[in-house]
Amino acid sequence: MREIDWFPLLLSLRVAIISTFLVVGVGVSLAWVLARKRFRGREALDALVTLPLVLPPTVLGYYLLVLLGRGSPAGQLYEAVTGRSLVFTWQGAVVAASVGALPLVVKTARAAFAAVDTDLEDAARTLGKSEWEVFRRVTLPLASRGVVAAAMLAFARALGDFGATLMVAGNIPGRTQTAAVAIYDAAQSGRDALALTLVFILSAVAFVILYTTNRLTAPGQR
Amino acid sequence: MLSVKIIKEFADSSLSTPTHGDHVEADASGFMLNVDIYFPPGVTVLFGASGSGKTLTLKSIAGLVRPDSGMIKIGEETLFDSGQRINLPIRRRRAGYVFQHLALFPHLDALANVEFPVTHLARAERRALALDLLRKFGVGHTAQRLPRNISGGEAQRVALARALATNPRFLLLDEPLSALDEVVKLEIIGDLKKMNSEMRLPIVYVTHSRDEALALGERAYVFERGRVVAAGEPVEVFGAPVKASIARLTGVENIFDGIVISRDASGGTMVVELGESVEGVCRVEVPLGGKDAGERVTVAIRSGDILLATVRPQSVSARNILAGTVSALEERGDQTLVRVRGGVEWAASVTRLSVRELGLTVGKEVWLAFKTYSCRLFDNE
Repeated sequence: MREIDWFPLLLSLRVAIISTFLVVGVGVSLAWVLARKRFRGREALDALVTLPLVLPPTVLGYYLLVLLGRGSPAGQLYEAVTGRSLVFTWQGAVVAASVGALPLVVKTARAAFAAVDTDLEDAARTLGKSEWEVFRRVTLPLASRGVVAAAMLAFARALGDFGATLMVAGNIPGRTQTAAVAIYDAAQSGRDALALTLVFILSAVAFVILYTTNRLTAPGQR
Repeated sequence: MLSVKIIKEFADSSLSTPTHGDHVEADASGFMLNVDIYFPPGVTVLFGASGSGKTLTLKSIAGLVRPDSGMIKIGEETLFDSGQRINLPIRRRRAGYVFQHLALFPHLDALANVEFPVTHLARAERRALALDLLRKFGVGHTAQRLPRNISGGEAQRVALARALATNPRFLLLDEPLSALDEVVKLEIIGDLKKMNSEMRLPIVYVTHSRDEALALGERAYVFERGRVVAAGEPVEVFGAPVKASIARLTGVENIFDGIVISRDASGGTMVVELGESVEGVCRVEVPLGGKDAGERVTVAIRSGDILLATVRPQSVSARNILAGTVSALEERGDQTLVRVRGGVEWAASVTRLSVRELGLTVGKEVWLAFKTYSCRLFDNE
């Protein structure tokens, strides 16, 4: 049996880790705004960030290509700053994976924030704390299980992103080929050992993460 | 002095007036909070059913709810003024707020809860301050415990200690005793009284319990559908007959059992004989009550309503003038409580200056004088 090429798995890990940080930063902020602020279009915003959960990955990938491609303002800005295009690079895979994971983070963290008693936040305000301190010392610690769960789900989701990643980052072995894409490639070309190994690893990681997040967010676990 | 004059309207009454059961009020189309109250130092009770606007008033003062219009001032500082567009952030109002369900932070132990308002201080300093406050309320032993491992009465005291750690300019207490049993309630009422006499801050005390209002309130405002419908001293507001046990809680020092001797319906008065025969008896004129001659009744008089004189007062309107002998002098802050034996043992509070000028000493012969309407009647238990 030929030696297994570990590059796709390592790339997937790298993409998933960076995506997790990105998406937790953005997603937790959005979740807090959605849970605590009343404004027009709040539910529309929630629907918008949830879209990646239900849209076909190709639709998502197409949007990203249009938004981040060489002709777009965002793509040109990125190219001006870094000197490279975002499309067909592993960084493009990070963006694709992040957008795919965003709904999970927002949904999970919003529920966690909503479960924090607003009287506790009000109490912190009357005790002289600024909004940032209220968040840091009261809201976030009390929602911490949910936020950790959100981060783990983001990681699991980003680790296995396929459709959008394929469209945005392509399938360049040794450069942009992530584990999920490599499985497709291996299955198509009859390299069953590689496909099976990667399938098993991704499944195991996903199972462990889901099991842990379930325990973290189970009622009565506080 | 805290002054509050605010108006807030709610289009949807469900926001502020919860309706119980399946009955929905026919005119529940809107709710308007409209209050104008001055809070001097001391305990002011806001009394009323749930949904009457008491808590809303408290939240407006703290800044948690923004009134539509009006003004809130503490001393010379404006906390809110719709005309001048002033709305001081909650954290700058320095209100000691004790929430109805206490709102102790569940992830912090009692000590960390009390340290919470002063996290800007050095660690050792804030520890010392917090521990000091916990000990002052007799709950130093709970310092390392999380709120869920603290009893109701202890949690109440931790919450009070935390509110005081902010060095507040006024206290806002939202039904602080509603969840406690009677014994703990009485203990905490004692704590609050002590705190009140030490600090002399405006204390706004929201409750729907008459007992608490009578025990703690120096003034009471009764709320109904967002408005004040009665105001005054709690005993007046809640009116007689009130159980004599409550009168004892309210700081009415002179409470005597007696027997109605005669009634003067046209004069609106009746004569009651007080005291047991061992010490002798005395007769006082009190407002006409529902009791007939020969029936037992309890008479209560505040110590501040009794005048002391060293010669028999003449040509005064007070209908009750009794002779007695000073049996004890007790310092009570700025006042001195003078105990006088004259049939029963009376307590009259006078200023220290009066004690000096009248030359009041134990054994001195004095005269007591008080008005008929200074006497309150209670049902005899």
